[in-house]
Amino acid sequence: MSRFRAVPSWLTSSLGARLWLRDCDQVGPGARTFSRPNIENRGRIVLGSRVRLNSGWAPVELVSGPGGKIEIGDKVFVNYGSIVSAQRSVRIGADTMIGNYCIVADTETPGIEDPQAGPSTDPRPVEIGRGAWLAARVTVLPGSRIGDGAVIAAGSIVAGDIPAGCVAGGIPARVLRTG
Amino acid sequence: MTHRMQMGNGAFLLGKPSVGARNAQLRIGDRFRLASRPVESHLSVGPAAVLSIGDDVWIGHGAAIASHERVEIGDRTRIGPFLILMDSNFHSGAGDQSEQHDCKPVIIGKDCRIGSRVTITRGSRIGDGARVLAGSVINGDIPPGACAGGARARVLGRATEVTSQGYVAALALPGIVREALELDSVPALDDASIAAGLWTEEHVQRLTAAIRSELGITLTAGDLRDVGSLADVAAIVQRKHS
Repeated sequence: MSRFRAVPSWLTSSLGARLWLRDCDQVGPGARTFSRPNIENRGRIVLGSRVRLNSGWAPVELVSGPGGKIEIGDKVFVNYGSIVSAQRSVRIGADTMIGNYCIVADTETPGIEDPQAGPSTDPRPVEIGRGAWLAARVTVLPGSRIGDGAVIAAGSIVAGDIPAGCVAGGIPARVLRTG
Repeated sequence: MTHRMQMGNGAFLLGKPSVGARNAQLRIGDRFRLASRPVESHLSVGPAAVLSIGDDVWIGHGAAIASHERVEIGDRTRIGPFLILMDSNFHSGAGDQSEQHDCKPVIIGKDCRIGSRVTITRGSRIGDGARVLAGSVINGDIPPGACAGGARARVLGRATEVTSQGYVAALALPGIVREALELDSVPALDDASIAAGLWTEEHVQRLTAAIRSELGITLTAGDLRDVGSLADVAAIVQRKHS
């Protein structure tokens, strides 16, 4: 059977990205999607080059509300079941990795909102630096900033600022190790 | 399915939730928003049980709600993703989940704001206008208008005062105070007795040093002069934090 293996994944993922990311405003070259992500773009979504989204077991969801902006840098990887939701602004720096079932949102109720319900209350921008690593099931609360190269341990809830280059974890996340 | 379902107008369902409700009563108000994307939410209402959801309730994705007797969620309450809310502890006969005992109703009030990844255990009651911080485990009663957080959740202050920006400070402060002042137990933020007896010069110095090293916030002796309870200290820390 191996002789009849399906089209290689580098090809399906590259072609899939063309198809599934077509609702984004900008997608850099070499972007890849593994299975189908949910993209709900009512504002602006900008993806850098060689971004990879793995939607293998549960989709990755990128949601921008009216006036909201998601900026994802080059070579960012987002694993399955994670949601990135911006009613105002979410920025993720280049080379950052986001684990499975993470929540990165600038409001407390991520996802598409009912337009009839009016604008969401108090979105506060989220910023994640370059080369950061969010492990599995990390929640980044509205208004948080994570510095370049920071590592957030699995299951943590980030509320506030995490300095660059440190390892942080817990509920709420505190710095566990600096440098 | 033979359940009785009343569904209000203008429901906003994102994705498809999984609903199991045999012989059950499901009452859902107007403009209900339930997300099932990217992770499916499920509502499981046992035989002869009631799940009652008010108007304008929002529930995020990945929710697991199980009612074997009675679960109520009040009007305008908003709940973040990955809620777990159950009125039984799923300890029935060995391997048999069909009959539950020891159910205790869970009642969530109106205008509550419940954060992401909150677990609410059987018999919990959350008062109107209360706020529950992300990642909390609720077991027991949260009074109306209070802000609660932690696992198991404790009251940290009033809902209007605790912001998620100052969440680190609010949650970490009791532990820091305990370590700095060498108390036997973790003090509650709303405990007024904590401030009165402790503010000797040495205590203030130890506490400000601990807050500086743990939270990176410098407090002066003047800041701590007029505090009435730990909640006031948390409010000062939050103000400096933002």
